[in-house]
Amino acid sequence: MFYQILLQIFQKLNNERTVSAAYHILRGKRSGQTIQDVGLFQLHNYFGLLPKLPRATFDEAVSTFLQYSWLIMQESGHYSMKKLGLQRAAQTPTFLFDGWHYRGNEHVFFARLSLVVQSLSYQKEGIRSFSPISKDTQVQSWVRAFLQDQLYQSGHLQQQLLDECLRVFATLAVSESNKQLALYRLSGYSLPGWTWQQLSSERKETVLDSQLAFIELLHTLLNEVHATNNYPLLGKIAEEVRVKALLTDSTQQTAYLYEQGYSIEQIVQIRKLKQSTIEDHLVEIAMNEPNFSIGPYVSYEEAEKVWQASKQYQTKKLKALHEVVNDLSYFQLRLVLAKGEV
Amino acid sequence: MELEQTLAKYFGYATFRPGQKEVIEAILSGKDVIALLPTGMGKSLCYQLPAYLLQKPVLIVSPLLSLMQDQVEQLKRFGEKRVVALNSFLTVEEKRYALHFLEQYRFIFTSPEMLLQQQVQEKLANMTLSLIVVDEAHCISQWGFDFRPDYLRIGDWFSQGNRPPVLALSATATEKVVKDIHATLSLHAPFEFMYNVDRPNIHLGRVLFEDRGDKAKWIVEHVKKTAGPGILYLSSRKRAEQYCELFMQAGLRAAAYHAGYSAEDRQFIQQQFIDGELDWIVATNAFGMGINKGDIRQVIHETMPANVANYMQEIGRAGRDGKPALAILLYSDGDEELAKFVVTGDLPSSSHVDRYQELALQRIAPSQMLKNGELSETAFRVLDYWLHQEPEERVKARLHHFALEKYQAVDEMLKIIKTKDCLREQLVGYFGQKLQKKPENCCENCGIHYDEINTVRMKEEKKVEMMAWESRLKQLLISD
Repeated sequence: MFYQILLQIFQKLNNERTVSAAYHILRGKRSGQTIQDVGLFQLHNYFGLLPKLPRATFDEAVSTFLQYSWLIMQESGHYSMKKLGLQRAAQTPTFLFDGWHYRGNEHVFFARLSLVVQSLSYQKEGIRSFSPISKDTQVQSWVRAFLQDQLYQSGHLQQQLLDECLRVFATLAVSESNKQLALYRLSGYSLPGWTWQQLSSERKETVLDSQLAFIELLHTLLNEVHATNNYPLLGKIAEEVRVKALLTDSTQQTAYLYEQGYSIEQIVQIRKLKQSTIEDHLVEIAMNEPNFSIGPYVSYEEAEKVWQASKQYQTKKLKALHEVVNDLSYFQLRLVLAKGEV
Repeated sequence: MELEQTLAKYFGYATFRPGQKEVIEAILSGKDVIALLPTGMGKSLCYQLPAYLLQKPVLIVSPLLSLMQDQVEQLKRFGEKRVVALNSFLTVEEKRYALHFLEQYRFIFTSPEMLLQQQVQEKLANMTLSLIVVDEAHCISQWGFDFRPDYLRIGDWFSQGNRPPVLALSATATEKVVKDIHATLSLHAPFEFMYNVDRPNIHLGRVLFEDRGDKAKWIVEHVKKTAGPGILYLSSRKRAEQYCELFMQAGLRAAAYHAGYSAEDRQFIQQQFIDGELDWIVATNAFGMGINKGDIRQVIHETMPANVANYMQEIGRAGRDGKPALAILLYSDGDEELAKFVVTGDLPSSSHVDRYQELALQRIAPSQMLKNGELSETAFRVLDYWLHQEPEERVKARLHHFALEKYQAVDEMLKIIKTKDCLREQLVGYFGQKLQKKPENCCENCGIHYDEINTVRMKEEKKVEMMAWESRLKQLLISD
């Protein structure tokens, strides 16, 4: 699965970026460049899937790809996919990740759920003392408050949570074996969980692939829970797990001033930042805010010229586009690309 | 009589376990105490019970946050509400509240780090404590594998004039470590209690090899014939994984365990082992803390441990139910070289000292070394502490001395392995105790028949199968 995901990202960034760009996207790096890449190349699903991915693991995969002749790489790290690589990429299935909205927070949700399930499992046996599966004190105090709010002592919470879980799992468009995987990461009275080693050897895949299957399941589950009001308990457990502030902090401040009606030059003065930085922020806003209009900076005709050129030459490289549409500045070009074709 | 009544009233136990009463009586008479009691033998009761009789707060200094949390929760389960944990997890608001009402708690848990903070020290100076407990006191000794410099830094605090009695608790300690505890905490003529280190139901095997390569075959043959549950200890994470693979190929229910796995995965393994889903844990010395499983029948060491105290602690996990258990130590010529390499791997070297100074000169935080993975966390703690205390050359000399001491500890272990006398007598003698009586099948040198101790493994154990997700969900939450 890891290879398939990498192939998909590499395909989208083909000829445009270095291999490292894919690494930063998977780690969810919050830099202007990575955020722009996500928007330009529509890589939202993959953003922050593996916040702790070791560079060595990534590099190993890249050298395997080189060995298989799936891609060729220049010394600078820029790469092109070869025919075989493109074929392989075309054969990959569509994944249901939503990295952009969860960015690793799905693990907070699961840590809470694990401790809730463990507590309820021991409670039904009348056992009050056990070693909590999450050592994180924030998770522990969250779960303590949740259980009290839900009047767990009445003994009805088990059935309610079971009903919700059964219902939500039934709706998920993921395989039975992936649902089983998630259930074996939970533990309870005399039902210990299985380790990643145990699960991956049972599933005959790498540990990383098992973990990715698990993340995919959590993303689909969380999206289902958020989409309706049908799962009150799970919705509570998922509280504040979905990322609301999609902009980086500094961009948010610029967005605030921009909404107040300040011009770029005025924002440069107020925030004591370089003009290029503020321009980066506006590009980021253009990418993430559907209501942001690029009209004040670029006319529709100009924008259309850029889209045409981008299509004709199959590139999103600024330098190449600038040669074709040379009456526009780089900032204008970036705004148009960020907004995408309407 | 009075003590037993208090025990029944607050804890619901009828009798004390060995050592508890002696320790508690010494505390109540106002003495400093060093109590060495193995894990699972009711160490914490030694300060919990006096707290109810002394009527003033007890301060417990504990280096491990998880351990602290466990103890706080345990007390709460006994219905104690006046308990607080002063640690770095508190928010500013919670901490202010806790400090403000500090004298109203019966049990105040804290970490050495927290104790170094001025506001905490000032608050404590202005209140009366009945007892100060230093838990896991072996962490004081730079000799121990768990050295915590902050424990040394709080030493001054203990040398102040009119402090209450101090109770130092530990599960393992050699004479040298006890001396360090005594000196660092400025204890006055402490009462020392040490549990009887001999465990007559653990039979001591030892197998010598000429060729290190023959060990794997021997171990696999042995575990295929004999019954678990058991622990196989190895010297590295990689070897633990390799042996686990061998065990699984041989059809055994085994799992590897080391500090490289996530906390959840480690807990899953422990639980599977306790629940009887696994027969063998193939582990580094990271396995064992806090494991409460009575029926472990075998502990095998693939190679020699770093010192006698570690060895005793590791084999002591066998046979807690009192039934016969077997400990086997495998040795081949030259194993001590590997052991010495491993024990000093955790020590900073003099080139680390130079590097630290170089970074400091360039105004780069020396912790960069840690981030670069140039040395282990323990090694950095040691380095950082001593370079703040002493000039460079002294530190280098000290580190050299540490290495020599660790080598010496390996040599002491080696001497016991190579002895032609009774192994049990040697081990017990190492802790300054005298062996009362030799059991049957005492040890390799006295004569031992493994088959009289081990049960024969009759057939392959049934592996746990995965169930469908709905069934598991239901089992977790409703049915049994």
